[in-house]
Parts: sequence; structure tokens; C-alpha cells
Amino acid sequence: MKKYISGLAVAAALTTISTAALAETTVGLLLPKSGVFAALGNEIDDGFVFALEEAGRADDIKIVREDTEVKPPVGLAKARKLVLQDEVDVIVGVVSSGVLGAMRDFIHEAEVPLIVSNAGNDAATGAACSPYITRVSFSNGQVNRPMGQWMHDQGIQKVYTLASDYAAGHQMIDNFTAAFTEAGGEIIGSEYTPFGQTKDFGPYLTNARAANPDAIFVFYAGGEAISFVKQYGSFGMAADVPLFGSGFLTSPLYVAAEGDAAVGVKTSLHYVPTLDTPENNAFVAAFKERFGRTPSEYAVQGYDSARVLLGALDSGATDRKSIAAALPKVSYTGPRGPLEIDPATNNVVQNIYIYETVKDGDALTQKVVGVVEGVRDAPNGCALQ
Amino acid sequence: MTDAGFWILQFLNALQYSMLLFLLSIGLTVIFGLLHFINLAHGALYMLGAYVGVSIAAATGSYWAAFLLAPLAVMAIGAVLYFTLIDRLRQAGPMNQVLVTFGLIFVFLDAVRIGWGDIALGLDAPKMFQGASHIFGVDYPTYRLFIIALGLVVMGVLMVILNRTQIGAMIRAGVENEHMAAAMGINVGRLFFLVFCVGCALAGLAGVVAAPVFSATTGMGISILIPTLIVVVIGGLGSLQGAVVGALIVGFLETLGAAVLPGFAAISVYLLLAAILVLRPQGLIPARG
Amino acid sequence: MFRQTPLRTFALIAVLAGLATYAATGGYFAREIVLEITILAILAVSLDIVSGFGGMVSLFHGALMGLSAYGYSVLTVKFGLPPLPAAVLGVAFAAVCGTIVGGIASNTTGIFFIMTTLAFGQLAYTLVFQSRWLGGDDGMGGIPRFDFKWLGINMNDSLQFAIFAILLLGLVYVAAAVLLRGAYGRTLSGVHANEDRMRALGVTTWVVRMRGFGFSALLAGVAGIIAAQHTQYISPELLFWTVSGEVLIVAILGGSGTLIGPAIGAVVFVLLKHEISNYTDHWHMFVGAALILTVLAGGRGIYGQLEHWLKRGDA
Repeated sequence: MKKYISGLAVAAALTTISTAALAETTVGLLLPKSGVFAALGNEIDDGFVFALEEAGRADDIKIVREDTEVKPPVGLAKARKLVLQDEVDVIVGVVSSGVLGAMRDFIHEAEVPLIVSNAGNDAATGAACSPYITRVSFSNGQVNRPMGQWMHDQGIQKVYTLASDYAAGHQMIDNFTAAFTEAGGEIIGSEYTPFGQTKDFGPYLTNARAANPDAIFVFYAGGEAISFVKQYGSFGMAADVPLFGSGFLTSPLYVAAEGDAAVGVKTSLHYVPTLDTPENNAFVAAFKERFGRTPSEYAVQGYDSARVLLGALDSGATDRKSIAAALPKVSYTGPRGPLEIDPATNNVVQNIYIYETVKDGDALTQKVVGVVEGVRDAPNGCALQ
Repeated sequence: MTDAGFWILQFLNALQYSMLLFLLSIGLTVIFGLLHFINLAHGALYMLGAYVGVSIAAATGSYWAAFLLAPLAVMAIGAVLYFTLIDRLRQAGPMNQVLVTFGLIFVFLDAVRIGWGDIALGLDAPKMFQGASHIFGVDYPTYRLFIIALGLVVMGVLMVILNRTQIGAMIRAGVENEHMAAAMGINVGRLFFLVFCVGCALAGLAGVVAAPVFSATTGMGISILIPTLIVVVIGGLGSLQGAVVGALIVGFLETLGAAVLPGFAAISVYLLLAAILVLRPQGLIPARG
Repeated sequence: MFRQTPLRTFALIAVLAGLATYAATGGYFAREIVLEITILAILAVSLDIVSGFGGMVSLFHGALMGLSAYGYSVLTVKFGLPPLPAAVLGVAFAAVCGTIVGGIASNTTGIFFIMTTLAFGQLAYTLVFQSRWLGGDDGMGGIPRFDFKWLGINMNDSLQFAIFAILLLGLVYVAAAVLLRGAYGRTLSGVHANEDRMRALGVTTWVVRMRGFGFSALLAGVAGIIAAQHTQYISPELLFWTVSGEVLIVAILGGSGTLIGPAIGAVVFVLLKHEISNYTDHWHMFVGAALILTVLAGGRGIYGQLEHWLKRGDA
């Protein structure tokens, strides 16, 4: 009997050793932990860790964390460090498009798989795409294009656009403008506000209103989104000039701070926490249990980054090359709905939800008012296939 | 919207922003006038005012509690700073005081991140000031009108204190000639302390007043510091009238610039600042004749 | 008055040798850290010429580094100029900008000098940030490094590039020391110590200041070239005023007005930053606290304090 037990123990020990040896995957988690996007970095980090825990793989995967400080040169230096010193098998993260742009050539030449879990710069899965860069978050075009047709379908003819004056702001508005004019609508005015300076949108809102549009479409994120929505509300424009925008404007992360001003704002995004599917209901409940808050789109991006990675590992990928090759083949139905990677661009193919922020008792919540299924980006100069 | 209505709205926008800049810069400039150093942590105190205000409003459910208590809390922080750092460095010269306040920016920034997190926080305007009011033929957010009125009231009260009261006379004497004032029996040390505290309280007041419009963010302290510095330099360091004039110039330049020439708005203030420093470095209304 | 004392020479050699040893024996990330230190040290040494010896506290030095980096990158990436002439022109561009801004700011002193340099620095930052041609906030990539293959040096090797940067740091220090030891250095210190007396002696003080600022800008430009070649990617953050503020902190932590102190400050600053950020994301707080403590301790900085103690020991 004693022999038998010790035999079991040895067998158990052996199994432990062999699984540990099998799961020798090192992930470099490259996220902003200071600077303007620190909150997003933490959401993505939590989502990533949550997916590993949920799959029971938290102990198998070693995470090396580095802070990009939202500075492109720092991000690049940290990526080099993760690849050359920590010898990670895969890098996950990157919030800002500037950091992604800075890293792109290095990642491509070093042949290290990168799972992008936020940065939406179209070029990363367009003209500057790489077999080593897989994006599971979204592209700026993907989120905004569907809104062009949808708004026109609602009978909106004349739109005024506003956005922060930086690369992502221009890209979001350009994509929306292209889709909206193609649908037959007209952009009657457009302005870009200085990024990160004084946040008084009063003069711009006054200009927008003077142009007398049917609606305004905007892109703002983070602190600017809160200021913009509150100031829009205080000017009492909701009655005659409804507000539309990129879904980041009324992200669950900020909507509580925006308060009643956000009610009635309609935006498009790749994830809404109130999505009523079995997968999402289970995810939201478990995430709330673990962290005590509702997951935002950023948390889901981190979560799906981990799930796509686990999918690639489960298909037998072990090293940088095989992981990079396996990532585009992963597909499943998760919290956002059906999710697959487009082998032509390595960008995610997913549903885009148009949602309205509504009041539910005292709290604000999201009501899905439109779904555009399986939104896929055109290759835009990407020649992966 | 009529053309006139458009310009009235933009005028009110500019005035509102000017008043906020005035609330911020007046504390900074008076501290400089007496103590001869620029308090670079002024923006950080503004940020603290906003965050403390958000917390007080959340705890009490009342905006007005935040409005009254947040400036006092920031004033208390200012008092502690004065005794632990500022006063100690009196002999070491103004540049050392500037450097210490520069260091304080980083300390306060991370303290706020630890205390309140990285996610921006909102603060609701008081019920009576929500929505818009009809004025000069246009609808304008009532809370912004409140900011304009508050700025004018603070301006008036400070004018009266400085020009009509004994303490005001002492401050003016201190600005004019510190040693002479001390020789005349004015307790200069106590005066400095008082002015420093009031300056900090005004920064905190600006923070809690700005929070419903701009929300409380960790970057707000650093991003407001530069416009505030520009206001006090343009107006004339140490000068109350200068702060008024500087705030109006910067407020109108940025707002009307944003309305008419958006691409140019971002650099216009820097050009103006450079021009003033080259042509009239003492500012438009110098503190000392 | 600047003196290249034996202690300073020893400290310089120790810094350069220490950096080279760390780069040679440490892993890849050690070289990243060495380069971060070297770039910051060059910038801090160049700043010390104006702030430590000329009494001109500048918030323009981050912008100077950025202007040189952007000049170099535009010439190589957009106009296809070879790296060497592009680098010379990039540094010259920083020197010209520095001379102009220094000339304008030299009519002011104290807080007004700071504000003038701040205004021009932010002006440069905003213009670069808004320029689509320069890539705006997305920055510019594909920047080449020097090609020294004919010398048998491979600049794409991280160790050889790090050694090259360390040598430049040494050169920058020597250039600054030679200038400050000479007649010009004495005049600059004289203007700082007693402007009226120098004026009475017939010195046009603002020209002295302007020339000092221009020379300092030239050295800051060298930092920009290394920064651009190091990451081979640049973005407008290089020019933001907080970069200048950080350099100022580094110079003061190390010992303002000692020339070698700021380089030591850069070593300590970068190593501490990386050490602390292993434990917390809030390393800025420690930077702020270190600055406050340095000022409270008399503002001499690490190296300045050391010299102070040794001097007292002699007496």
C-alpha cells in the first residue's frame, strides 16, 4: 500500500514536471502603466490574467511586464528588451498606435509574434501588416465605417464631425466620412481640437451648432470623452443636434463620470457589456465576481488576447514561428460574439454593435440598437496572401 | 442660430474660460508678488481641489459641501507645505523654492493616482445650475454662467481687500518693498503665510469649480500649469490687475482662436507669450510702478 | 569658475569606464540602459553649461534635442542624405535654433528666462505635433544609423553602438570643459556672478549669454542624433517641456555647476528609475522626493556634496 502511494506520488511529480516543461511559454505584456493610458493598460492586464485563470493556465504561462509610458521610443526599447533579454515567445499588448508604429519594423524583423490588444492604427493590418502582427482588438476603420451607413439609414443627411487632433482622431473621422458620404450623406463641417490641452469644447460646440447639422459625429477617448459629453450635455444640444460617435466616447469605463449627459448618445463599438448572449453573460458575471466591476471593451481585448494565444498553444504551437503561424487560425465565439482572425490581414473579424446609452434606475447602461455582423477590413495594401 | 447669437455664445465661452484662468492665476501671481517665487505646484493644487471635491461630493451628496470644503482642504495642504518646505527655503533663494515646487508636481501626481486611480472622475453640477439659461437672446449653460459670476465676485472681493483694508495695505507694501514693510512693523512672515494659504485655497477653489465642466483627471494639473503661467507673465508677475488682463487676453485668444482659426489656436498663446517676453518682459501691468 | 580638478577627471573616467564595462558585460538590456544614460548625460552636461555656469535655467533643451533629431531624420528619411552630413546639419540646426532663442531670452533673467525658453520649446513641440508631414504624434521611423563598415565597426551591433555613444559623451564633456576653462568660460561665469561689473568692464553681457546658449545647443544636438539613431524612430514627445524638466532635475541631482555632476546624475537617475519601476508604477513620486531632498540638503547634488565634504576635510 505504502509503495503504491509513493508510486502515485512519483507519477504525480513526473506529470507536474512534464506539464511544466510543456507549458514553457513566456509572454511579454507590454502595456502603459503610467501616463494618460494607464487605466486602459490596467484593464487589459486584468482581462488577460482573467482569461488565463479561467482556463486554469495561470501557472503555465510566465508573464514579463513592461511599461511603455505611452512613449513610442520607450515602447520600442521595452519591446527589444523583452525579445532580446527575456527571450519571450510572444508579446501581448500595445495601447497607443504611436507605440505600435515605432515597434512595427523591429517585430517584423525579429520574427516575434505580437498580439495587439488595443492600438487601432489601420496601417498595422494594412499597408504595414506583418505575418508576426495579429490584432485581436479592432482597427479604427472597422469600428467607424459601419456607423456611416447606419446613420444614413436613420435618415441623417448632414453631419458635423469633431475629434482630437492626433493621428487616431483623423483616422477615425476619415473612415466615418468615407462611409457616410458613400452612403449618400454629406459632411457639412469638420474640426480637430488640440489634443491634451485645455479641454474647453464650448467654442467648438458653438461652431458645430451654428453649422446646423442633423447630427454630430465625434471621436474622443479617456478624460477628453468625459469632458466632451458633459459639456455637450450642458449646452442643451441633445434636443436638436443628437450626438453620435466612436464607442470609446461612452465606454463603460467612463460613462458613470459622464452622468446623465451620456443618455441618448449612440455610438459604435466591437463590444458592449450588456450584450445578451450566453457567452457574454457568463463572462460578465465571472469578471464582476473576480474584480467587482463591469468589464469594459479594453478588458475584453485583454481577455481575447489571452484566449487567442491559448488557442494557438493548444493547436500545438510551441515557439515564436509556430505561434505566429497558428494565431490567424484561431476562431471561437466569445463575449463579443463570433471572433476570427482574417488570414489576409491578421486583423480580427468581428461584429460591430451600435448602442445607445440609456438609464436603468440610477445607473447608466447600454442598449444595443444595431448590429453589423462579421465586419472585415479590406486588405488596404496588405499582401499576406 | 443668428450670427449675433453665435458671437454672444463665443463671447460667453471666452469669458467663462477667462474667469477660470483668473481664479488660478490670481493665487499664483500674488504669491509671486510677495514671496518672489513661482509656485509650480499650483496646477497640482488645482488638481487636488478637483479630486478632493469629487470625494467630498460623493461622501456628502452635496456639491456645495465640496465647494466649501475642498478649498479649505487644499489650504491646509498649503499650510503644511509652507512650514515644511517653503519657509525653510526662504534664505536659499527663489530658484530653490521653484525647484521644490517642481518636485511637488510629481509627488502630488502619483499621490492622486494612488488615492483615486487612473480613471477620470466626474462631478455633477449642483441641481440648481444644471441645464441652460436664456440670456442675451441665447441659451447658455447655467453652470458656466455661475463660473463667470464667481470669477467676478472673487475679483471684486480681492480688489476691495487689497485696496481698502489694512491687510491689503500691508500686502501692497510687502510687494512694493519687503524690507521697508518689515521696518515699519509689519509681521512679514505671518503675511507671507497668510497669502500663501489664500493662494492655495484659490487654486483648490478653481479645481472644484472646474471639475463639473472638465472632470477630474490626473493630467489636469500639468496641462493647466502652462496657460496659468502664461497669464501671469503676460499680465505682469505679482499684479492683480495684470492677472485680470492676462486671463482675459489668454481666454479670449484661445476661445476665439478655436472658433475662427482652429489650427492656429494651439500655437497662438505661445507666440503671444514670446512676443510679450521680448517686447515687454515686465508684463502689461507690472506690479511695481 | 570651472576647474577640471583631478577628482573630476577621475569621476569622468569612472563614469565612462563604468558604462563601457556595464555595456560589455551586461545583457542586451544593459546596453539599452547605457544608451539611455548616455543620451541623458550629454543633455545634462550641455544644460549645465547654461544653467550651472551661466545662471540660465532652460526649459528648451528637450526641444533642442528633438529639433536636431527631427532635422537628422528628415534629411536622411525624406531627402535621402547620407547619415554623416545629415547629422552635421541636424546638430547645426539645433545650434542655430539655440542661438536665436538664447539671443532672445538673454535679455531676461530668472523666471522670465525660464518662461521664454518654455514658450519657444512648447511652440516647437506644438508645430511638430501638428505637422502631418513630420508624422504628427505617430512620429517617423526608418531612421538610419551611421555606417562605419569601412572602419570595421558595425553600428547595428548594440554593443558597438553603445561604445560609440559613450565615446561621444566623453567628447562632449571635453568640449564643454575646454570651453569653460578658457577665456570665454571666465567671462560667462563673470556675467553670472556680477553682471553689472562685467558691463562696466565693457562686456556686452547678452551676447555672452547667447553664445553660451548656442554652444550648449550644439552639444544638446549631439544627444538628439544619438537618440534618433538609437531607437531609429522619433516622436514629438522628445520636445515636450517635461523632458527639459527631467534633464534639469538630473543636472541638479548630480550637482549643478560641476559639469561632471550632471553626468553622474544621469547614471543615478536612470538606474534608480529602472530599479524602482520593478516594484511600483509610481516612480515619479520618488523622483520628485529626490529633487526636494536634494534642494533641502543644500542643492549641491550628489557630486557637489562629495566635493563639499572633501574640501571641508582638507581645511
